[in-house]
Amino acid sequence: MLSKRNLFCTLGVLAGVALGSSAAMARSLDTAFGEVEVNDDPQRVVTLYEGALDASLAAGVTPLGAIATRGGQQVANYLRDQVPDIQMVGLAGETNLEAVVALSPDLILASPRLPEAQYALLSQVAPTVVPPSSGFSPDAWRDEALLFGEALGREPQINEALAAVDQRAEELKARINAEGQAPSTHLVRWMPQGPLVMSTKLFSTGMLSAAGFAVEDSGLVADQRPHSDPLSLEALPEIEGDWLFLATLNEDGQEALETASQSEAFRRLDVVQRDQVVAVDGQLWTSASGPLAAQAVLDDIETAVESNATQ
Amino acid sequence: MIDEKLRRPMQAALMLLLVTCVASLLIGAGDVGVWRSLMVLFRAEDADAAFTVWSLRLPRTLVGLAVGMALAISGALLQAISRNPLAEPGLLGVSAGSALAVAIMLSLGASMMELRVGMAQLGALLGCACVLSVTRLRGVGNDPIRLVLAGAAFSSLLAALTSLLLLMDQRAADEIRFWVVGSLAGRRVDDLLAVLPSMALAGLVLLALVRPLSSLALGERASAGLGHHPGRLRLLAVIIVALLVGGATAIAGPIAFVGLVVPFLARSLCGPDLRRTLWLCLPLGPLLVLLADILSRCLVAPSELPLGVLTAICGAPVLIAVVRARRLPTLS
Repeated sequence: MLSKRNLFCTLGVLAGVALGSSAAMARSLDTAFGEVEVNDDPQRVVTLYEGALDASLAAGVTPLGAIATRGGQQVANYLRDQVPDIQMVGLAGETNLEAVVALSPDLILASPRLPEAQYALLSQVAPTVVPPSSGFSPDAWRDEALLFGEALGREPQINEALAAVDQRAEELKARINAEGQAPSTHLVRWMPQGPLVMSTKLFSTGMLSAAGFAVEDSGLVADQRPHSDPLSLEALPEIEGDWLFLATLNEDGQEALETASQSEAFRRLDVVQRDQVVAVDGQLWTSASGPLAAQAVLDDIETAVESNATQ
Repeated sequence: MIDEKLRRPMQAALMLLLVTCVASLLIGAGDVGVWRSLMVLFRAEDADAAFTVWSLRLPRTLVGLAVGMALAISGALLQAISRNPLAEPGLLGVSAGSALAVAIMLSLGASMMELRVGMAQLGALLGCACVLSVTRLRGVGNDPIRLVLAGAAFSSLLAALTSLLLLMDQRAADEIRFWVVGSLAGRRVDDLLAVLPSMALAGLVLLALVRPLSSLALGERASAGLGHHPGRLRLLAVIIVALLVGGATAIAGPIAFVGLVVPFLARSLCGPDLRRTLWLCLPLGPLLVLLADILSRCLVAPSELPLGVLTAICGAPVLIAVVRARRLPTLS
């Protein structure tokens, strides 16, 4: 449906193309809020989305500012060493606009869930790239990474990073499925009153499938929801399987495992008694996305599978 | 102590409570159904069902009993000392105080599983202490209305501080979010044992205070004329309330409405005398809490609803029915 506003946007963009093509404005991108023109070689990049920070670093661009990971004050653990000097410009879902302006960015990379009102403000500061939202899908992060790579003028690097992820996942899959069947698993986030079963359409569950696991949600996750409601402790056998990947909202997966282990209902699970529970970093597994996050998730999977093989 | 007027409602309430306790052991959100649970009660060999009944449902039933009694008694006490039939444990800064204490500990890095009990109780006491210290100024303490107002003001302040902490610290916010609505799920007998001594202490002190407290219903002067000290009585009663509500909040989180609706119901069944109301609150409080808990397990299985929401949903129709059925039962 072409609303009046869309029409104006289109006209505006057309006018911009006609008038501004003499400057360094080289490329225009398809974003959630229509066409956006970006500088050919952006120097001052601010990322307002964990997936955007990840994609920028994968493409070889170090942003000046980023938002903290969910539940933290810093960028996610797996990226912290790569960006020692990065400025924090807000928390997850809560951007400090003044801090963004202070960095005088020439490109802003944002989340597909950025509200339109925020976009209206940010786009006055610098060209703001918002990937079109496609709901929850295990491959959404690829399209996002490609778009961010394009915005940064570094498509080859992003394509290379994505190909490396695919190749590594294939290798892992060959190893994990060597004995024939794909091992079944759930990804759960442990909450004080019981576990949330994560959707099979998330970034990290997508990586688990790519690495050869049969990820299940036991039919508990409603369509377009990231996870189920907290499961009753009585219903815990629902998360039984060959493997169990366990995270919290926080970075410390081991702590999550200890908390969960205080519950006798959890200790009784067959998968727990077989010691096939993998404690993972919740920031990486349930909040982050991008090519570097994919590599980190695959690292975790590989470590888990290897340590299991040596037992 | 049990007179004619109390006997019949008491018997009925105890019967219902017994049935509810058994139902609470038999009904759940998981695969173990009523029949399998029943077999377990008769010593059948069924490890999974036995675990579900004895290790999951029994502890939460016991916790529900304790929490229900504590909240109902606190409500009745608060209503007696403030002479306000709408007084509630949430009113005197008790619940808000314990929530704040838990939030502070969480943001200092404590984990949800430990520390909760002692801190919540301490916070409840501190919340009460704040309110009482205000009411001590210039003889305000003799005025029940000002006590209620001071409590409301402090509750808002403490709640605002809690929100501030939670806004600043996301980790605490994530962990406390589930505690703030109140629930009996996953509680262990250890949690209960940790708060039982202080609750028992509060109960013993209360036994000695019931008679003088009921004289408060006659008004400050009449009570003083009978040789009691209204100010001192009120102080002691508030400390009892803090211990009870702090303990209940620590194990189950804040559970709304029980402290309001149960004393109301008790009064409408056996009259306004505090000596009867308190006794009838003992079975009625757990009855409401356990009924709500059973519902919370059934409605959205295999998940569970937060108990705090359900006590309100169960409690509100009761309150409305009572209010509509007869003249508002008053306190004096």
